[in-house]
Amino acid sequence: MAVTVDIPPPLREQAGGNLKVTTSGNTVHEVLDDLIKQHPALGPKLFDNGRLRPHVNVLVNDEDIRYLDDLGTDVADGNVVALIPAVAGG
Amino acid sequence: MSTNLERYSRQMRVPGIGKAGQERIMASRVTLCGVGALGTVLANTLVRAGVGFVRVVDRDFVEPSNLQRQVLFDESDVTGNLPKSEAAATKLRQINSTVQIEPVVADITRTNIEDLCRDADLILDGTDNFEVRYLINDVSVKHGKPWVYGGAVGTEGMSMTILPGETPCLRCVFEASPGPGEVGTCETAGVLAPIVSVIASFQAAEALKILAGKRETINRELFVINLWDNTNRRVKIAPLAGRKGKCPCCARKQFEWLDGEHGTQTSSLCGRNAVQVTPKGGTKLDLGELRRQLEASGAVSANRFLLKCNLTDAGEGYEFTVFPDGRAIIKGTDDVDRARTLYAKYVGH
Repeated sequence: MAVTVDIPPPLREQAGGNLKVTTSGNTVHEVLDDLIKQHPALGPKLFDNGRLRPHVNVLVNDEDIRYLDDLGTDVADGNVVALIPAVAGG
Repeated sequence: MSTNLERYSRQMRVPGIGKAGQERIMASRVTLCGVGALGTVLANTLVRAGVGFVRVVDRDFVEPSNLQRQVLFDESDVTGNLPKSEAAATKLRQINSTVQIEPVVADITRTNIEDLCRDADLILDGTDNFEVRYLINDVSVKHGKPWVYGGAVGTEGMSMTILPGETPCLRCVFEASPGPGEVGTCETAGVLAPIVSVIASFQAAEALKILAGKRETINRELFVINLWDNTNRRVKIAPLAGRKGKCPCCARKQFEWLDGEHGTQTSSLCGRNAVQVTPKGGTKLDLGELRRQLEASGAVSANRFLLKCNLTDAGEGYEFTVFPDGRAIIKGTDDVDRARTLYAKYVGH
C-alpha cells in the first residue's frame, strides 16, 4: 500500500530534505510509523509520549483525520497524507 | 478630497458589491492587529477600498530588513526611526484622505485587546505570533466579531476566516500553537515577499466580502499555498466546528488567553539591562533545533542546559540565553515590549 506523505517546510530537515516520502501502511498510524522508521528525527516532531502533537494537523486527501477516525483512519493505495503545522509568521 | 464614489467605481462594478456594498464598506470599522508584512498589504488594500475607519496597532519600529516586503514603508521611515503604526498611518492618509486612520503604538496584550477591538466590525490578523492570534480568537468568539487569520513564513502561507458561531474558530483547527523554536519565524526561516502579498490579499478579499455584507461568499476552508513548491490545498474544516463540544474557546466559552492562563510573562531584570520572557503553561524546547535556526542570525553556543546567541537587530546587539522550558533572558534591553518582540522574532511562539 503506497501512501505519499507530504512534508511541510519546517519538518523537511528532519526528513532528509524531502518534500514527499513514500510510505506503506493501512492506517494513518501505520503510515506515520513507517515515515518515522525511515526518518527517525521526525519522531519527536510529530509525537509526544505517543500522542500526536497538537499543533500538527494530519490530512488524508485534504480531509482532517480529527473528523475521520483520527490515527486509525484507513488509507488506500495512492492516498496522500499531509502534515500541516500552523504557520506563525507575518 | 471629498468622499466620492467615482474612485470606487471599478470595485462597485464587482458583482456582489455595487453601490450598497460600497456604502457598507465605507461605513465599517476595522482593527488591524500588526502592521508588518501582512499588515501593510492589508492596510493598503482596505484603505484604497474605502473602509471607513482603520485602527492600526503595532509595537514595532521600521527596520531596514522590513523594506523587502512591508509595502507601506520606505528608507525615510527607517532613518526617522518611526513606529510602524505611525509610518503606516502617514502613508495611508496620503493614499485615501477620506478614511479615518487611528495609529496605536502598543503591544497587543490581554489587558488592551478588548478595548482595541470593541468598536470594530472586523478584526484582521497582521501579527507574527500565535499568542496574539489566540487572543484575537478569544475576543472574536467572546464578542461575536469575525476575524481573518493569515500566516506566512518562507514560501508558504495559510489563511482561514472565522465567523463566530458559524465556522470553526482558530482553536477548533489549531488546538495549540507551535512551541517556541518549533517552526521557523520570518527571521530564522526567511520570507519571500510574494507569499506575504498572496496571503494578505486573500485575507483582504475575505474582509471585503464580510464588510460588504456578503458572508455567504466567504472561504470556509483552510487555504494553504506554497509558491516555491507550486502546491496549494483547500482543507475542509467545517466538520471541526466546536470539535464536538470540546473546543475550549467556541464550545466551552473558556477564554484562556484573554484570562491569562496562556501567553508569556515578561519581567525586566533590574540593573542588568535584561528582560526575562517566560511562556506560561510549560513548553519543551529542542535547543539543538533552535540552535540550527539561529545560526543564520548570530553566534550560537549551546549545551544541555541552555543556549546562548549573540545577534544584532536594528543595529543593536543582544544576548539571548534560552532554557529548555522556553524561558529566555534577553540582554541588551530593559524594555519588556522590545524583549517580547525579539522573542517572537527569534525564538517564536
